[in-house]
Amino acid sequence: MKQRNELILHLIGEVGHYILEGDPQRMSINLHLEQDGFHLTILDDIERSDEEIGAMEASLHHTERPELAGYYGSMAGLEMVGHARLNLVGWQIHHGDVQRVEGGTRIDLVLGAEGFDHAGSAFPGAGC
Amino acid sequence: MNYARNTFFSPRTIKKIDTAITYRYCRASPFFRRPVLTTQEKKLYHLTWAILVAIALAGFLSQGVTQTLRGVWALQLHAARLINDYTSVAGAGATLVNAVLVAAIGLGLVGLTGTRVSGPTISAVYTMFGFGLFGKTPINSLPIILGVFIAARLAGKKFNEYILIALFGTALAPIVSMVAVELIPAGALSWTGAVVTGIVVGMILPPTAIVMLRFHQGYNLYNIGLTSGFLGLFAASLVAAGGVTLPADMIWNVDPPLLLQLLIPVLSVVLLGAGLFGTGLSEAEVEQREPGRVVQEGRAAQEARAVQPLRDFLRINRLSGRLPSDFMEMVSMRGTLVNMGVLGLGSWLYVLAVGAPLNGPVLGGILTIVGFGGFGKHPANCLPVMAGILAATLLFGLSLTAPGAILAILFGTTLAPLAGDFGVLVGFVAGFLHLVMVSRSGGWHSGISLYNNGFAGGLTATLLAAFMEWYQTGRDTAKAAEER
Repeated sequence: MKQRNELILHLIGEVGHYILEGDPQRMSINLHLEQDGFHLTILDDIERSDEEIGAMEASLHHTERPELAGYYGSMAGLEMVGHARLNLVGWQIHHGDVQRVEGGTRIDLVLGAEGFDHAGSAFPGAGC
Repeated sequence: MNYARNTFFSPRTIKKIDTAITYRYCRASPFFRRPVLTTQEKKLYHLTWAILVAIALAGFLSQGVTQTLRGVWALQLHAARLINDYTSVAGAGATLVNAVLVAAIGLGLVGLTGTRVSGPTISAVYTMFGFGLFGKTPINSLPIILGVFIAARLAGKKFNEYILIALFGTALAPIVSMVAVELIPAGALSWTGAVVTGIVVGMILPPTAIVMLRFHQGYNLYNIGLTSGFLGLFAASLVAAGGVTLPADMIWNVDPPLLLQLLIPVLSVVLLGAGLFGTGLSEAEVEQREPGRVVQEGRAAQEARAVQPLRDFLRINRLSGRLPSDFMEMVSMRGTLVNMGVLGLGSWLYVLAVGAPLNGPVLGGILTIVGFGGFGKHPANCLPVMAGILAATLLFGLSLTAPGAILAILFGTTLAPLAGDFGVLVGFVAGFLHLVMVSRSGGWHSGISLYNNGFAGGLTATLLAAFMEWYQTGRDTAKAAEER
């Protein structure tokens, strides 16, 4: 539980840092938490270009890098100097999505818990 | 979690999550444990093995098989604290074979654990190879790695999450040799005690290394240097408390043979050649990374990629290099190999220009720079730091070829991200302070940590990162007050 809460706070910290660098007037953080995973949605009122959204998606759509996530990923949300880096978040989540919404941008981060039972999950089409 | 009934998911997002979860959790999938290496990564993996085998063969040829094997065995039983130049202890050939064995452990573990062959792993392998010339041996490194492995199991993590800590963590390998050779009289008990000590140290490394990152916030590339120096302080204090005085002897080869002098230029040319003339990503891999790019660019753009490595090298030089900057992922593998080759040749030319010997420790310094050419270092962020160290060396009247000064200017590039992020002036100041710190820090841990420059660099980076945080916050507050 402590590990999960710490991870969530780190992710919120890093993404929050990233958004605040864009100087928004509004930022909304929505956490949907369940026993075996969570979904974090962050909304802001910054209208970003296609290029910027593409760069954000590229940072969040990293391939699995356990060697970086387990060690350097711990820096997420704790950096006060320098720019925020979404790739620190991208290594640690299972899915990240960036979408342009009316008047701003929406970031979705999804992570299933360790030992997640895919067979018992309700994800559509998860059987294999 | 039932995402289908979740109101804040669009159908498009649900489809993407479905794909991601299926990919990650289907045990039947061949991708479950091992990442899919690109063809470039596979080639780099094989190239690195080929380089190691060639160096080992050169070692055997230069010294003869019997003499080389005897020399390698002698190194396993030799003290390893700073500075023990193995090229003086056992000869160049045996030292190269020892270094190859140490690096082979690293590269083998990368392959066995299915870790991506990329900037961080390649930098770890080159660092292990470099320090195999003056401190690391297979026998004193393996207990540390085993300790990290046990720590990973205890924390419920896979070993590949801690593999970089395990590989870089062999900085504390001298503690194993110290217990076996210097503290406990020879015998089975001494090696048992040494191995147990190494395992315990390895188990402490991961939690300490993770905390140390927070001090300098990624501005010291050798984070394990700060970690192992910190742990080395405790080890040296324990030894002193036990009434043992560790000698501060230095073995430094002043007349290295031609084989050692040619190692870096040959390696650099191979890396440059692989970068400039090697194959790029396949069209399928480009398409996988950046959908639509192959179709959009067309054939002309594909052909223009012949000069792409040089462009990528220039792109790399615009990055800060702050940990963790995997240049192979962020820019390209070919551009990164060019960067590694340029850094190797540049460092080698500097050593030649000042007339310092290309012995084990100096080669170790250059090889570490070459390795970190994939993970944070490039000429633009290294040069300001090196200039600061050079200025301090001249100002304090030290010889440019003195062991401390030449090693500081090579290993001091651990502070390169400060120049990359905050500019030339901060990089210069960092280099200047580094020489002052590193001159004293080795004695604090009695040379137990091989990454003494990483230790001193970590302290300098922590100071400057704290200062820059204060300065930036103060500047922003003043700016906001002016605007009001």
